[in-house]
Amino acid sequence: MAGVNGDADGAPLSPAAASVALDGVGKTYSGDGDGGSVRALDDVSFSVADGEFVCLVGPSGCGKTTLFRIVAGLTEATDGRVLLDGTEVTGPTTDMGVVFQEYHLFPWLTVAENVGFGLERSDRSPDEREARVEEMLDLVGLTEFRDAYPKSLSGGMKQRVAIARSLAVDPDLLLMDEPFGAVDAQTREMLQRELLDVWASTGKTVLFVTHDVAEAVTLADRVVVMAAEPGRVREVVDVDVERPRERGDAAFAEYVGRVRELIGAGP
Amino acid sequence: MATETASPVGEDEALAGIGLGDGRRLLRGAAGVVGFLAVWYAVSLTQDPFVLPSPVAVAGAFASELAAGDMTAALLQSVSHWVPGTMAGTGLGVAAGVAFGWSRLLDDLTAPLVRTLRPVPPLALIGFAIAWFGINDWGAAFIIAVGAFWINFYAAYGAVEGVSEDLLDVGRTLGVRGDLDAVRSIVLPASMPGILTGIRTGLGRCWMLVVASEIFGVPGVGREIIRASNNLRVDRAIAYILVLSLMYLLVDVAFRAVERRALAWRA
Repeated sequence: MAGVNGDADGAPLSPAAASVALDGVGKTYSGDGDGGSVRALDDVSFSVADGEFVCLVGPSGCGKTTLFRIVAGLTEATDGRVLLDGTEVTGPTTDMGVVFQEYHLFPWLTVAENVGFGLERSDRSPDEREARVEEMLDLVGLTEFRDAYPKSLSGGMKQRVAIARSLAVDPDLLLMDEPFGAVDAQTREMLQRELLDVWASTGKTVLFVTHDVAEAVTLADRVVVMAAEPGRVREVVDVDVERPRERGDAAFAEYVGRVRELIGAGP
Repeated sequence: MATETASPVGEDEALAGIGLGDGRRLLRGAAGVVGFLAVWYAVSLTQDPFVLPSPVAVAGAFASELAAGDMTAALLQSVSHWVPGTMAGTGLGVAAGVAFGWSRLLDDLTAPLVRTLRPVPPLALIGFAIAWFGINDWGAAFIIAVGAFWINFYAAYGAVEGVSEDLLDVGRTLGVRGDLDAVRSIVLPASMPGILTGIRTGLGRCWMLVVASEIFGVPGVGREIIRASNNLRVDRAIAYILVLSLMYLLVDVAFRAVERRALAWRA
């Protein structure tokens, strides 16, 4: 697979130096053959640098989830491409840890088995896998629940398991689609703090999709604001506020206001 | 990392609830049986024994058949049809159901054939049983296998079709590649509840088919029922019917226990 610049010498140029680069990504859903096709995404281009935390926000119907699935390699783009460290994404890869809103834990596996699922397909020895699972459980604070089945966990705990599961195979990028959208507000704020801790301690690149503007401003180095019909990038906002960010802060409120304005600005 | 408490599944409460309900249900069930026997006895007083023997006569027939060893012999013969028939039909049915439920290609190839063969009752295949296997244990086992096959085929097929695409997506992002890996690690465990329900239904249905499978002269419980009916020995017929019921109950209770253990992960 060739990178965006297809360099034979393996020295990719600037867009490919980023951990993730979206290059003119478009998606058209064709209708039933009577010309009723829908343009869901149009010429989406932005990049996420190595170790950067980028949030993607936009109004409903702006194609956030479609874009998420394209980056994950689960849906094919009609135009353009996604590059992960300069290599075109052509399908799902364990270089990306993917976290979904609805957790999607394997209900027949215990917490520890869920976390170890991806490791079973790696070339690690059983001892290494075991150690890695314990490390991940410790990271998300679920060691004492290692033998529990998902059915007995709360939403917040399930999402911690999902995050640990995606991190276990040591991906370069953490790709998250509204991961905290299904938990209550209090748990959400706690999970946001925990995610920032994990991000700080692992140095992963994070691309985080959300519809919650305050969440995006709390977490991101940069916020990619999308517009709808067709889904496209409206503007990229650098959030220049020291972490940890306080919601009562004037600068914080200013960024939230600005992003909301961009989202609400109509087509 | 902080951990909020798991939503506890009030196990003690649930157990107490089941315990109380169980006791009451058993009592009601016993009352129902006693009531039924009383009505049966009362009606039998007004009828000839070849129309409706009394429960006492049936118990007598049961005891004398058992004492003479005829009942045990017939039961062993029927078991020797039931076991291979059920095993072959269940194994092939589950395998075909999973394969056709998973593979669109296989499904398309076989759909017309399946729809043609499905409505054929096992009993209608007696001619084939005799031609292919002869009037023997294998012929009887064949009839039973056909019945078990369809039940398991449709149960497994439906269960596999119902496997969540989201779980398969998660699996792919964690390194699941190819049909075999996907079926083994996700499709089979996810569809296990449906498959086990099919197996349990099939186990019961196969006891009913024991009668049909012995209708063409293969010795066993089924043939004893038919022979007793032909000789107007209704008490003996009912005694042998009871044998089938008891076997069904025994197998069902045992299988439920296995099922509960295998599906401990379920909510």
